[in-house]
Order: sequence, then C-alpha cells, then structure tokens
Amino acid sequence: MDAKLVNPFIDAFMAVMPQIGFPTPKRTKVYLQDKNAVSRGVVVMVGFTKQMRGNVVYNMSEDTAKFIASTMMMGMPVAEFDAMAQSAISEMSNMLSANAATNLTQMELEVDISTPSLTIGEGFSVKISESQYLTVEMDLGGHPIDIAIAVDRNL
Amino acid sequence: MIVDDSKVSRAILSNHLSKTNFEVVAMAKDAAEALELYKEHNPELVTMDMNLPDADGIECSRRIKAIDPDAKIVMISAMKDANLVSQGTAAGIGAFLQKPVSTNDIIDTLMMMCQQKVSRVAVLRESYAKAFVRALRQGILRIIDLKLEPTLELYDKKYLEVNGIAVIIGLTGTPTGRAIMYMTKETMKGFASKMMGTDEVTDDEANDAVEETANIIIGRGVSNINDVFKDKEMRITPPGTICGAGIRVASPKLTTFKITATTDFGDICMNVGFAEGD
Repeated sequence: MDAKLVNPFIDAFMAVMPQIGFPTPKRTKVYLQDKNAVSRGVVVMVGFTKQMRGNVVYNMSEDTAKFIASTMMMGMPVAEFDAMAQSAISEMSNMLSANAATNLTQMELEVDISTPSLTIGEGFSVKISESQYLTVEMDLGGHPIDIAIAVDRNL
Repeated sequence: MIVDDSKVSRAILSNHLSKTNFEVVAMAKDAAEALELYKEHNPELVTMDMNLPDADGIECSRRIKAIDPDAKIVMISAMKDANLVSQGTAAGIGAFLQKPVSTNDIIDTLMMMCQQKVSRVAVLRESYAKAFVRALRQGILRIIDLKLEPTLELYDKKYLEVNGIAVIIGLTGTPTGRAIMYMTKETMKGFASKMMGTDEVTDDEANDAVEETANIIIGRGVSNINDVFKDKEMRITPPGTICGAGIRVASPKLTTFKITATTDFGDICMNVGFAEGD
C-alpha cells in the first residue's frame, strides 16, 4: 500500500483527539504488518469506498475504551462499557475517519466512509487485508490505541 | 392492480414494480375491466390512470370505493393539477403521482399507502433488508446449489454474538451501514466443503470461502438496492473478517435486521444494519 495514505489518519488523530479532551496524543510506533491483528478488547472497523478502498481498524483495550468514553463525556465515570460508552467510541471512530476523509480530499481523493462496526471481545483475530498493511500505535495519556490502516487507491 | 388504457404505460409500471417487493396481481385497460378484476383479486393497492376509454379515473375510483370502501388507490397520470387532486381526494384517491414516475416515488408512495403510519423500520425492512434476503437466497443457490428460504426479523438485542467467523462489510452511500455474514466454525467448514466439493478443507480455505461468499452476496444485495433506487449510490467496502469465540458486535445507533438461512450443516446468518437519521 501507499505509505502516503497513512498520514491523513495520523493527522486526523492529532487534530481530533485534543478537541475531545486529550491534549497531547503521541505517536509511539509505526510498523508493517502482514498477519491478522489480535483484538485488545474493543475493535472498531471503518470501511472506505470510492477513490480509496479499504478498512481502518481502531483497536484498544476495554479499559482504554472506558477511559476515552469517560473523558469524552467530561469525566463522567464509566464503570461498564455500556451502550453510552460504546456510542462514544463509535462516535470517536466516526470523527477520526471523517476527518481523515477530509484530509484525503486535499490529496484529491474523494472517499466515502461506512458506519463504524464495533466489536467487543479479547483475543479474537481481525483480518482486514490480503497483503501487508501499516499499524500506527498511538498513546493517549498512557493508554495505547492501534490504528491499523489497510487502504489502497482505487482510481 | 394497474389500471391504465395504454399498454406501454402498464408495461413501464409493472417493470418498475417488478424491482420491488410489490407484486402485480392484475392489469386492467378500462373501468369495466378494473371493477371485474378488483372483485376477483381484491388487490391491496390500485394504481389508476386518469384517461380511460369508458370512464375517467376518478369515476372508476368512485366505483371501486363503492364495492370496497377500504380500497387504496393512487392516481398516476400525465396531468396533476389542484382541480384533479381535490376531485380525486373526494372520490377517495389516497395519493397522486405524475407521469413519468420514478421507481423511487412509486415505492415511497405505495409503502405509505400500505401502512397507516409508515415507520422508518418498515421502509428499511421492505426496501433495504429484503434486498439482502433475496441476495442471500440467490447467492446460496448459485454457490452451493441449495434452495433455501431465508427468514428476516428485526434484531433489537444489544449485541450480536459471534462464535466462529464474521465477515463485516461496510455500506456507504444512502443509507450508510454495515452488513455482516456470520456462522459457527462447524457451519463454515460444512459450507466450504460444499463450495469446494471436498471434505479436505483447511481453516484458511474455509475462511476465504466464507469471505468471498459474503462479498458476493452483500455486493449483490447492494446491487439489488441500486437497481431500484438510482440515486442512493450505495457501495460496499472491502471485507474485514473476525474469528474467535464470544465476540460481541455492538451496533449503537443502527437499526439492524437478522437474516437466517437454515441448512443441514447449520445456520448461515446475516445481520444488516442501517444508520439512524439517513
């Protein structure tokens, strides 16, 4: 895949997360992956169509998901990863993907995004590509999130 | 039932309707035939042309209403003006469309006529979820030569439980959403054996078989929708496949439907969900 397509996703993360309560997101690792990803607990998949096709997966532990949901809801305690917390994580994934889509239009790529699919469970395997793809590990105040990006131009 | 004196108009209309879940039970070329066929078939809905050789559409509607006060009639005519609408409404015509009509307009109108209160869920079920039921039936018939009648139900549980494999494909366009094909590991093996014609199937091959099948069937479902709604431009994303036990798929803010096709090697299930507010 084209490594240039990764930056719009990293930029989106850096731009959106401070707006929803995480002032200093950090990029900790970027690596190529050719095996299936393994769920950390909560996996959100968002699909892309039109001039770029593929999937992007946000993979985090349930603790991280609860931490993010709580922060997004102005510090409201989130004991269970319940419907409201799921909705918050789904919304975050949507914002990140929509923001990345806007960044992609600046590269003259028109894209459409699907509804996020949120799956819960630890250790299940996630296959989003037949070939190699990039995973970016981000850090939110000590909480890691993997963004697996398997997209290709479709011109 | 279609009432129209023009053979071409009847053909166009029945062609529109053939792409939907409405079935044309009778076609009449004049008012006399319309009355006769109405009594014979007692159709759920009537489309009525204005110009008929033996009476106008309003008079014909009046006569139908006389035999069945609950008759649901929509006028589809070349002309549509205030006078016609007020006279028609007085005769009991429920809706007015102007020729040429789009399949879209027809479906929306007929759906509304069919239900006292057309709910969003009903529209999603009839126009969208059923397109995937047809796709699943056609797909399984073509791929493993099994004739099945999949069932469709609104799915309102908090989670979809997956033990085995789930292929998730995003839907973009209007509405956005996602479609999932899922089954147990045993069913996956059984399915892949049938598809490949051998019992010697590895886990990877079985995964690929289900992924490819999901791609074909969900793609076909979306084509079924696009055939009817020319302006929705629905597309599918590449598949994402998850495997494991005790996986829960949450669907916040989605209206979802479960489609089940029962086979002797287990249930082949689908869950299609559409975003709220589209």
